Amino acid sequence: MSKVDQLNTGRVGNVKILGRKILLSEFFVLYLTVFYLLVLFPFIPRVFSPYNIKNVLSNTWPLLVIAIGQTFVLITAGIDLSQTSVMALSSIFGAVIMTSEADPALLSKSPLWGIMLSDKGGLFAGTSAALPVGLLVMMAIGIMIGLINGFSVAKLRMPPFIVTLVSQMFFAAVAIWLSKSENIRHLPESFSRLGRGNFGPIPIALIIAVIIAVSAHLLMSRTLYGRRLYATGINPRAARISGVPTTKIIIAAYALSGFCAAVGGILYSARLEQGRPTLGNTLLLDIIGANVIGGISLAGGKGKVLWTVFGVVFFIFLSNTLNLLNLKFFVIDIVKGLVILLAAILDVVRSQLALRYSGGKV
Amino acid sequence: MGIKLKFNNIQKHFFGVTALDGVSFEIEEKHTVGLIGENGAGKSTLMNILGGVLLPDGGNMSLDGDAYLPSNPRDAAQRGVAFIHQELNLFTNLSIAENIYINSFPSLKKTPLIDKKKMNDSLKSLLKSLDLNYSPSTTVENLAPGERQLVEIAKALHSDAFLIIFDEPTTSLTARETEKLFTILDQLRSEGRTIIYISHILGEVKRITDDVIVLRDGKVTGNSETGLIEIPEMINQMVGRESDNLFPERSAKPKDSPILEVKSLSQPGIVGNVDFSVHEGEVLGVFGLMGSGRTEMARMLFGVDTYRSGSISIDGTPLPRNSPQSSIERGMAFVTENRREEGLLMNVAITENIGLVSLPDYCRNLVKWVDAKRMNEEAGIIGDSLKLKASDIRRQPAMSLSGGNQQKVVIGKWLMTKPRLLIMDEPTRGIDVGAKYEVYSIMDRLAADNSGILFISSEVEELIGIADRIVVMSQGEVVKVFEKKDFDVTALMAAAFREAVA
Amino acid sequence: MKDRNWQRFILKNTTFILFVLLFLIFGILAPRFLSFKNLEIILSNSSYIGIIAVGMTFVLLTGGIDLSVGSTMYLSAVSSGTLIAAGWPIAPTIAVSLLIGIAMGYVNALIITRLKIVPFLATLVTMTVGRGMGLFVTKSVQVDFPDSITLMSTVKVFGFIPLQIFIFGLVVILAMVFLRLTKSGRQLYAVGNDPLAAERAGIQTRPLITSTYVISGFFAALGGFISITQIGRVSAGFGSGDEFDAIAAAVLGGASLMGGVGSVFPGTVLGTVMIQMIQAGLVYTAVDIYLHPIVMSLIIFFAVLLDSVRTGQLKKMERRTIMKITS
Repeated sequence: MSKVDQLNTGRVGNVKILGRKILLSEFFVLYLTVFYLLVLFPFIPRVFSPYNIKNVLSNTWPLLVIAIGQTFVLITAGIDLSQTSVMALSSIFGAVIMTSEADPALLSKSPLWGIMLSDKGGLFAGTSAALPVGLLVMMAIGIMIGLINGFSVAKLRMPPFIVTLVSQMFFAAVAIWLSKSENIRHLPESFSRLGRGNFGPIPIALIIAVIIAVSAHLLMSRTLYGRRLYATGINPRAARISGVPTTKIIIAAYALSGFCAAVGGILYSARLEQGRPTLGNTLLLDIIGANVIGGISLAGGKGKVLWTVFGVVFFIFLSNTLNLLNLKFFVIDIVKGLVILLAAILDVVRSQLALRYSGGKV
Repeated sequence: MGIKLKFNNIQKHFFGVTALDGVSFEIEEKHTVGLIGENGAGKSTLMNILGGVLLPDGGNMSLDGDAYLPSNPRDAAQRGVAFIHQELNLFTNLSIAENIYINSFPSLKKTPLIDKKKMNDSLKSLLKSLDLNYSPSTTVENLAPGERQLVEIAKALHSDAFLIIFDEPTTSLTARETEKLFTILDQLRSEGRTIIYISHILGEVKRITDDVIVLRDGKVTGNSETGLIEIPEMINQMVGRESDNLFPERSAKPKDSPILEVKSLSQPGIVGNVDFSVHEGEVLGVFGLMGSGRTEMARMLFGVDTYRSGSISIDGTPLPRNSPQSSIERGMAFVTENRREEGLLMNVAITENIGLVSLPDYCRNLVKWVDAKRMNEEAGIIGDSLKLKASDIRRQPAMSLSGGNQQKVVIGKWLMTKPRLLIMDEPTRGIDVGAKYEVYSIMDRLAADNSGILFISSEVEELIGIADRIVVMSQGEVVKVFEKKDFDVTALMAAAFREAVA
Repeated sequence: MKDRNWQRFILKNTTFILFVLLFLIFGILAPRFLSFKNLEIILSNSSYIGIIAVGMTFVLLTGGIDLSVGSTMYLSAVSSGTLIAAGWPIAPTIAVSLLIGIAMGYVNALIITRLKIVPFLATLVTMTVGRGMGLFVTKSVQVDFPDSITLMSTVKVFGFIPLQIFIFGLVVILAMVFLRLTKSGRQLYAVGNDPLAAERAGIQTRPLITSTYVISGFFAALGGFISITQIGRVSAGFGSGDEFDAIAAAVLGGASLMGGVGSVFPGTVLGTVMIQMIQAGLVYTAVDIYLHPIVMSLIIFFAVLLDSVRTGQLKKMERRTIMKITS
């Protein structure tokens, strides 16, 4: 321990050190979540009921997957506003491939009618190939949109904000155009199981989310790509001179973001049992907010999957408890906004503290 | 009219390094004074103190007998001192007039509006006197570099500056623009202004100044009337610094087989027809002043920047353009001149910095799993061999190190790749004597292992101390190549200054 | 050298060239598009989003962004609706709603300049909180406005200029005068061009940046009011998404997200009118309404792409030379 710590004898000193340790800990957001729940528990005991926990968890999985995708892009000092449109477009395409029945009254005006869609359903209606093809196409759409974003940012040197904003507008519009604003129902049972079903006692969505979180964690912390991703986010010029193919790294980050958004789209569509052209259009705040609360920096170079996990968990519990308190949705939005702001302020404070206590001269 | 300036025992230190060590001299009013010295001699520091950019640690200054200690450039401007930096300080999206009036716009009667007419009219004669034939409402973006310089001068004149500092004003000017600038300098002198003129081009100094002040290692080593001193004498006063650098004995001789061959490398406006080669076991020095094109050339060699024509080959095979990655694969390494911006990941652990380039060598299987344990161990070994002073190199971020140790991290990161050709751009700048010696030893060791080293420096003594041959660059071209037997400080300097030595 | 000048001209006037091209294409495909009535409708439809885009231009000029304008519109509109329902006269109601806009802008500025939160995140938060507060006021019920308000949209100033176009014009002129002819306006450009150099030159950057967010908030409230006079009611989604249209208009008009580049006139006005013109043109040429946003986003993408090419090219032209040029 440093001299400062030794000098701070006495209880006040100890409390201070403990406070600082908690504040600077990796698990800070987790502690905060636990603390928050313990404080609220006496007022809303229902929060720990099995039903509520199940509800909270089922909300966690898709958001977690999407937020992790965003983390990759944030680490490169970019931002991906198009994730919500990826969800919508992949939802529509998946449904168009898998649906077993389409109502001509609703969908015959779709440009896909007669090509991929008819009253007998989608391209692979009723076949056993429907599910795998549907899933593959959904994921491919996410990756493709991500590649377009990444190429525009890294190769064409366009600002990430405007690139992904435009692609959000564009692909959201495409999703609505293709479906003429209609939801597409009659998806195969095997598909909706992904969102609602269990594998033994464990929800399938959980398994998918955990697989993605663990792979993303390993990718970021243990592989060549991960190391190079951080280097690119921290100092792109130094990274390039050190042989890091920064352009490819950035493009890959956007592709991963698109992929994760598509998987999130799969989980949501499966839960809703429909392809929905407006899927995710209110989710942007939650995605960015969860990342910011977790401590992922918008300035790039800083973030971990674990932090995103904590951020998502905190964010979901926050929404859930506010719901249980019977607050109106707009009050919930106000609180969410303020919490994100507090998190951002706290992050500024934490980085300053961390700098002071770890970067001391030799 | 005119300002008489006096420096008295000015001191300045940066992080323990002495930049100015008791500088004292006087400048007579209405004189044009040349300020010369090698890079790092303290010219910029002294002028930054005069211009209010830096505060001195000790000593004092006076203007016309009154104490003078500006705490910012505006203070300096109010006392009639203007500093025209090498990097111009203009807002390119604003007009000439707006740049000049940025903080003192004239208002139209009693409205909050700018009196554009008054503003523009008031400048017409000024711009004309500078032979800048544009309307004052022209956007700076549309001006050539030389014309922008004139805008800076107009700014200084408009603020009634009677002492104007020019820092390397001709480096980005064409020959014609340079002539024009000299005419204007003459004119300023005839108006009774005092001018300090910093330049590496001694012919210019000789031609236009009344007095010459020479700085070396933060001290004044020469102060005389320009008419009484010839260029070789100026060079003598600039060099011959007390060499505190010790150099290791070179342990092996260079071989005949070339590693790097550069043939007529050209990029318009930057470098022209550069030819040279680096052999196995050779330390090839590249000497040139700042802005001579040496850094730009190094960046082209390594593939950071592109070039128009010519060829670069390693071990006889041409190197692809514009790809640092393939340069690294071919065994090249590049220690850049600015370790903060291009060398280090400041808030990342030391071992990870050292391992960054070699990461692919520590990867297994398809997903490129990094063997962090092995990488950290080997990075640790490199750190030890460099005598890196750190308490915990696996946790401690690079920014917590001293300058010399940071530089060792950058070098370590390239040593880990076992480079065939190491390019080092000013590797000893801003580090202490002990660390310098260690950097030289690393070069010697690498050369003894048959690697080639391209050592770029603006300190001629260290090149003489360690290099096998020295290439001198000036204005984007190779002026001369010196063999070891011909090494001579004055001759090298003269070549870099493009002066004929008598 | 002449080629370069041509290049420069095209690069610098992409929006204008695009505007003229589109105008001609629509005019040829649908001659009715060129009717005076249609042009008036285009201008009239441009007014409210144009006013907001003018405010956005100020923010973009300093390198910032304001995502909260849509929520500011909503919050100030529902506040004025509530006050009118409570029997307030129109004039003080308008004043209050504009003050709310100013307050929102000031809060943004405080978060950005004092708490050092990046503009994107700061205004994302105020966007959420602002709309939440608006919904809190209305309990998410639609607010209807009396005829006294809606009739304002039929008022013709000087007997021939519709009120909304008149106000839009006034806003544009004021903003133009401010940006081009006042000390603060010119310093704003300096700050956007090089914030550090601006501070070195002794420019007070913080009050300048604060003023841009206040102006943006004020114009958002004003734009919101203009919009009310045209549609007469405020639903829960009022103004939502308008922040992106405003950003798009400014960017289409040549404003850079990096700051320092952009103008209210012709720039942002051209961008705004162009967006409305494209929408009208697509209607006249009977393009599927679902395709409108697709075409629109493609055009914006194209404009931004040209902008990044332009910035790259201009930078290249400014590279300093090392070799002596003997001429």
